[in-house]
Amino acid sequence: MADVHANGIRFNAQILEPQEHTADAPTVVFVHGLISDNLSSFYYTLAGPAVVNGARVILYDLRGHGRSHRPETGYTADDGVNDLCALLDALGVDEPVHLVANSYGGIVAARMAVTEPDRVAGLTLIEASCAGTSAAAWIEDMANTLSVTALRLEYDGARNQYDKAGQRRMARLIAHADGLLNRTTLVDDVASERPLRPAELAAIRCPVLGVYGERSELVGAAAELARHVPDCTVEILPGLAHTVLREATEILRDILLTWLAEQRTRARERRVPAAPLTKEGP
Amino acid sequence: MSTTDTVLGEVVEMLIEIVGEDFLLDVEITRDTTFSDDLALESIEFVALTEKLQRRYSGRVDFAALVADMDITEIMAMKVGTLVAYVEERTTVARPGSRAR
Repeated sequence: MADVHANGIRFNAQILEPQEHTADAPTVVFVHGLISDNLSSFYYTLAGPAVVNGARVILYDLRGHGRSHRPETGYTADDGVNDLCALLDALGVDEPVHLVANSYGGIVAARMAVTEPDRVAGLTLIEASCAGTSAAAWIEDMANTLSVTALRLEYDGARNQYDKAGQRRMARLIAHADGLLNRTTLVDDVASERPLRPAELAAIRCPVLGVYGERSELVGAAAELARHVPDCTVEILPGLAHTVLREATEILRDILLTWLAEQRTRARERRVPAAPLTKEGP
Repeated sequence: MSTTDTVLGEVVEMLIEIVGEDFLLDVEITRDTTFSDDLALESIEFVALTEKLQRRYSGRVDFAALVADMDITEIMAMKVGTLVAYVEERTTVARPGSRAR
């Protein structure tokens, strides 16, 4: 499946089914990062191993990204949640899903865990800061970087410099970034994003896994999660910065698969009532 | 057209659909063409290609298995012929005179 129409726009999505279906197999939805990112960053890293381990996997390009449609507006985290809920509706997915999100995708995924708790069975945040001062600083930094990039693309004529077949990939990347940054509300929407409040983190009901690079500017988010989220596991990867998904794929894969298996075991245990401690009397 | 040419021809048609004819008009796609250097294919476009092939040969090809041990750089450095050969191997049916597999 490639095109899925939801929330008024066309999304590029990939559904990967496991070889053998089991009743309690998790549905894992991957949510990628901003601008040059798209579903392929997860497709070639974590999606395959998750399917092999029995999960049903959904990958999609966020609006304006990859091969999804690029409307002029609708790039806030709340819009992202509405898009994802509509996409799941269109796919007929009504069971709670595990969200696995990288970088900015984590802001959308964490918002969904807060505002749509019945649809989220678990949340994995890879290098994403969603709450408190660390998130506020990250959002501001992203908005500034995107604004500068937008201006460069608009005035340096960079998009014309690579308009040759031999530099096709760069030309397309530039054209895509220019379209997203200068022809949509994305920069303004990112700049106006608000971090989650500690009370909202504390109200997240699903289990949360946070994975961060030791040298990342976002490593402070790990402590923020651990402090407020009731059911939280945090992993800090030594020597790594923000590019955990790309540079520590195998470690990340093992952490994610182990964590998903633990959640499955816990879910099974919750379904099986505990054996009575004492025999019934005569 | 032989079976071999058919698969290559189908892959070329799919690439034209994904990448657009304008760019590929100047490029002759052969078995030695590489996805990355020669076609400047983006990783998201390779996903689209595998999806089209998966749909075309549903159930008979498993690209997850083909690329399981490769990282993205290795996948994109693949030649068109490698992918075509994989599809041929998985879709060849026993013909009179050929050994059953």
